Amino acid sequence: MKTGIFICHCGHNIKHTVDVGKLRDYFGRFPNVVVSSDYPFVCSEPGQDMIRESIEKEGLDRVVIASCTPSLHDELFKDLVRKASLNPHLLRRVGIREHCSWVGDDISRNTEKAIRLIKAGLYAAAHYVPLEEKQVEVVKSALIVGGGVSGLSAALFLSNMGIQVYLVEKEPVLGGRVRMLRDIWPVRKDGEAVIAPMEAALRARDNVEIFTSASLVGFEGAFGNYRATLRGLSGERGITVGGCIVAIGSAPFDATIKPELGYGRDERIMTTVDFEEKAGRLPLPPKPRVAILHCVGSRDEQIGRPYCSRICCINALRVAESLKERYKDSYVESFYMDVRAHPRGGEEFFEDTQAKGVLFTRCSVAEIIPGRDGLSVRGEDTLLGEPFERKFDLAVLSVGISPPPDGPAVSSLMKIALDKDRFFLEAHVKLRPYDTAVKGIFIAGACSGPKDMEEAINHGRASAVKLFGFLSAGFATVDPYVAVVDGKRCSGCRMCEKACVAKAIKYDEAARVVHVEEAACMGCGLCNSTCPSSSISLRGYGDSAIDDEIAALVEAI
Amino acid sequence: MSATEEKTAKDPQIVGFACSFCTFKASEMAGSLRMKYPDGVKLVQVPCSSRVDPAFVIKSIFEGADAVFVAGCHPGDCHFIKGNYFTRRKIAALKEMFDAFSMKEKLRLFWVSAAEARRFVEKVRAMYDEIKEASHADAGKKD
Repeated sequence: MKTGIFICHCGHNIKHTVDVGKLRDYFGRFPNVVVSSDYPFVCSEPGQDMIRESIEKEGLDRVVIASCTPSLHDELFKDLVRKASLNPHLLRRVGIREHCSWVGDDISRNTEKAIRLIKAGLYAAAHYVPLEEKQVEVVKSALIVGGGVSGLSAALFLSNMGIQVYLVEKEPVLGGRVRMLRDIWPVRKDGEAVIAPMEAALRARDNVEIFTSASLVGFEGAFGNYRATLRGLSGERGITVGGCIVAIGSAPFDATIKPELGYGRDERIMTTVDFEEKAGRLPLPPKPRVAILHCVGSRDEQIGRPYCSRICCINALRVAESLKERYKDSYVESFYMDVRAHPRGGEEFFEDTQAKGVLFTRCSVAEIIPGRDGLSVRGEDTLLGEPFERKFDLAVLSVGISPPPDGPAVSSLMKIALDKDRFFLEAHVKLRPYDTAVKGIFIAGACSGPKDMEEAINHGRASAVKLFGFLSAGFATVDPYVAVVDGKRCSGCRMCEKACVAKAIKYDEAARVVHVEEAACMGCGLCNSTCPSSSISLRGYGDSAIDDEIAALVEAI
Repeated sequence: MSATEEKTAKDPQIVGFACSFCTFKASEMAGSLRMKYPDGVKLVQVPCSSRVDPAFVIKSIFEGADAVFVAGCHPGDCHFIKGNYFTRRKIAALKEMFDAFSMKEKLRLFWVSAAEARRFVEKVRAMYDEIKEASHADAGKKD
């Protein structure tokens, strides 16, 4: 066996807290290790060339790359090994960055841990066998869950590229939250005017099928051939799609969760969402006094919303501006923590609103008490450090964004994760912000965290481009990590058959042994750990490989 | 106070089995967030927590690990639909066996989702500290 070990410095990320030179020398002494080298960035082009040349020159039959976590750059390194005409399943990645150099500070301890981790990889790799990657055809169609502005943008792009699109919307009309908006800043258009052309374009296409008042009730399969079940007014319908984009949006914060603000108990207290609808017909005196509260349902640890909702400062400014325009002699006071008018032009809009006479008071509002002669807003001015109480005719709560109410249902149907705030979790916060951990399923729009309209559109388009990239390849490789049965060893006890969740194990009455139907096998390895005679084994995670890995982690070095 | 009592406890070696879809992802995130946990904790990546054969746990103890944990997705969230329910049953049975040999504390099972980096670190740190504490107490008893 000829193994090559390549240790990445990752700039200073690994090198700073792990003695890479020591690792290199340590593994260089192993009998089966032909090459042991370290390099500043093995993922860089020269780094890749170095590995490829080593494989070709030394005729390596096992490659161990100790670098970032295995899920990162997975395809990159597999491709690299493939190009050097080595089976990619003879490659072992060892994470010495996320699992070693970044989680400990002591160099000597980290180096020892890295030795054990790499050794575990080395021992396990010795048991690897070349695996054949099967290719399956990819259905060139996409399911888009959610017909908001993000889902519509994704649908438009994909249908433009000739992909069959199925768009599912829970509500009877398309457009989501954006449709309800009036006079959107800074374009000064109504939401209706944004949605209508998108909807018209989609309806005119013959490769788009739109299901309104419908929801996703079933979802199974793998990338390239997902089978989804939609339930609408006209019954259930099954479709087969190559990939999927989840764009189920978000919900406005329910202000009744903060009872001290009196929302729902007095109609003079309303949210920015209500204001959107009622702005034209407010029962206000000619010189109204209006309070606007920022950060209702945002940056609030106590109610489980620690994040900034990003859109509500601009919404509060929009409310303030429209009031000032309608009532010249109004008294409008904004109660804020910080004004985060982050989109382009937001800061100028904030200045503008101030110039129009809107007062900004940095404070934390404790409560709103409705009375016969008006609303009493009480709180503490955090700049002056003293309490205040003022009377108003109207209070507008600038509510933040809450996670989508259907998130948990969709998450458990599609097996995609939610983050701690119950928004959908991306595969990597910086490098893969559109992907989920499941291949072929992407997220778009505010369901993955608060976003304004522009960001939601961008997110939808970007996810569509990523999905198109996957679909246009026309084929998908199936993971060869499936279970195999050693017929000679199998006693025919059928324990695995009972355990198998995917029903991939079948019993052969004549031979009295079981066999695995590879296409159905999900590769969990449950049968492997259930079998009393170890005659069924999960490829890539065999008993012997894991046993040796365990030994390497704890044995003396 | 003898000198032996001042002897510091041995740094425990803990082997953890982490499922690829939840706990291993959480550990990756913990790394990206530069959260710290003891270097005695080392992970073996398995596709699903149900891949963990009770024999692996025993093997780890045989090889010299001070404790073992098995961690997977929260019940109901298993990527393989219900693998973790099998894990739960298997580990419960194994725990009873460990209990019979008075080493119940050497085995733990917990659930950490892909988003719960902080929970992962809290769990492994707490486990490490308790194992270390116990070995310290034992060391004191022998003398």
